[in-house]
Amino acid sequence: MITDNLTIETAAVSAETVPSAAGRLLGAHMPTSGGVYKALVSGKAIGCSAVQLFTSSPRQWNSPLIKDADAAAFHKAREETGIEVAVAHDSYLINLAAPTEEVLVKSQNAFRGELDRAEQLKLSWVVTHMGAHLDQGEDEAFERLIASLKHILEATDDAGYNVGIALETTAGQGTGLGWRFEQLGRVLDGVGDHPRLGICLDTCHIFVAGYDIRTEETYEQTFAEFEAAVGIRRLKVIHANDAKKPLGCRVDRHEHIGQGEIGREAFARLVTDPRLLSVPIIIETPESDTMHAVNLALLRSMAAGSGPELNITVHLFGHYTDVLGGVPVELTLPAGATVRDAAALLAARDARLERLAEHCRFAIDEEYAALDAALLDGCTVAALPPMSGG
Amino acid sequence: MPFAVMSDSPIDVRLLEAQVSTAANGAVCTFIGQVRENSRGRQVSYLEYNAYVPMAVKQMTRIAAEAEAKWGCLVAIQHRIGRIELAEASVVICVGSPHRAEAFEACRWCIDTLKETVPIWKREVCPDGAFWIEGEDALSAAPRAAGP
Repeated sequence: MITDNLTIETAAVSAETVPSAAGRLLGAHMPTSGGVYKALVSGKAIGCSAVQLFTSSPRQWNSPLIKDADAAAFHKAREETGIEVAVAHDSYLINLAAPTEEVLVKSQNAFRGELDRAEQLKLSWVVTHMGAHLDQGEDEAFERLIASLKHILEATDDAGYNVGIALETTAGQGTGLGWRFEQLGRVLDGVGDHPRLGICLDTCHIFVAGYDIRTEETYEQTFAEFEAAVGIRRLKVIHANDAKKPLGCRVDRHEHIGQGEIGREAFARLVTDPRLLSVPIIIETPESDTMHAVNLALLRSMAAGSGPELNITVHLFGHYTDVLGGVPVELTLPAGATVRDAAALLAARDARLERLAEHCRFAIDEEYAALDAALLDGCTVAALPPMSGG
Repeated sequence: MPFAVMSDSPIDVRLLEAQVSTAANGAVCTFIGQVRENSRGRQVSYLEYNAYVPMAVKQMTRIAAEAEAKWGCLVAIQHRIGRIELAEASVVICVGSPHRAEAFEACRWCIDTLKETVPIWKREVCPDGAFWIEGEDALSAAPRAAGP
């Protein structure tokens, strides 16, 4: 069959190719209502090459294994969509550092269930938060967490599992563990260098936990600290989320990419960072139904732009024709720039274009586009004042 | 099949009507928008239409297709650009359908939607200067070096 040949060729090529930012793994947390396979199908539809999903209800303690038919549908969808990486996020209830025996055992059992289901679906990683000490002593909590992880890793090693555990950096809300890089390092070292144990870095969480990544300097500083305390080689999954709340506030509220406190520059740097090209990046931004596609497209354009710049052509119409003599303007903008940025750049060039963004509707490549729409390298933008045809 | 074109020569109304005048259609409704000598109190010498042509054609085609699907009719739209003299047609919309109600309704919707979404702008040339018309606004326009 032709499709089979294609799949094989693609695999052979990608094995020899150095990972590039343009082809980097990008995706989103996708819903599973209607079956776990739906996460892959709907993910593919919005351009995911990686997907994160819940393998059961995230607010429920005990979940059965995935039914054989559902697992088979998932594997089939995996082949059809070609989604390269799929990971799970565990239940919010699980606390592998819980101070009471009852919750601890319940958590360990539930987490084993997470790994069982993930293994059934051949997922690469189960992302989990590191639990909370609940004011019963932080050191003891770390000991319990390390013991829980050792126990679960040993048991699943014996069972021949491939799925790994990715401990997620947290926002430092309440008594949550894992909001300082040193704490992650402490757990990894405590468990021992286990190949099935890694880290998931969430940009919103680390930012509100106090790690700035907004400029080149702060980004590099933060990753230097991560390298020292954890090691970038242990980084297995990245959650790309902007933050609604400011640096260091320890309040976790996700925002659309580029529209929060972190801002666009950090994400453009993240998706093109040569040290991170093999790490899947997953968004968990709000209004997933409508905005996942937009946020993904933005990250994709940032990755494709690679170079920090994109070149566009702008056509102005109506009375704006007179301002620039009726000729199109060439603009250079940073990767990830939007229509609004292009309008702002023109406004800065000529005071007569100051109200362009409010006064005009815009089109990208002859289709109407919102002010927040991401620009692609080589695209044509048109500024369309109120029309008067007819 | 929707028919939508942009031209810089006068519109042949009969030719456009022929596009929608099939034996199945008992009604053909034609709307002609033409240049008026007076615009909000200003004496108009002639109009000059400018457009973002590729996008305008796409939008007009989309409008025609949408009307055809909604009213089960045939639609042909032609808009003119460049200099247009008084009493000449700037736009013609022809709708053919089995019965007149759909033809009238679709025709009205097409011209209303065209005014909203098709990127075309008129420049009114008056004895005492030129104006860009942008929605309700008339903005002073720079004089052209040489008129056609």
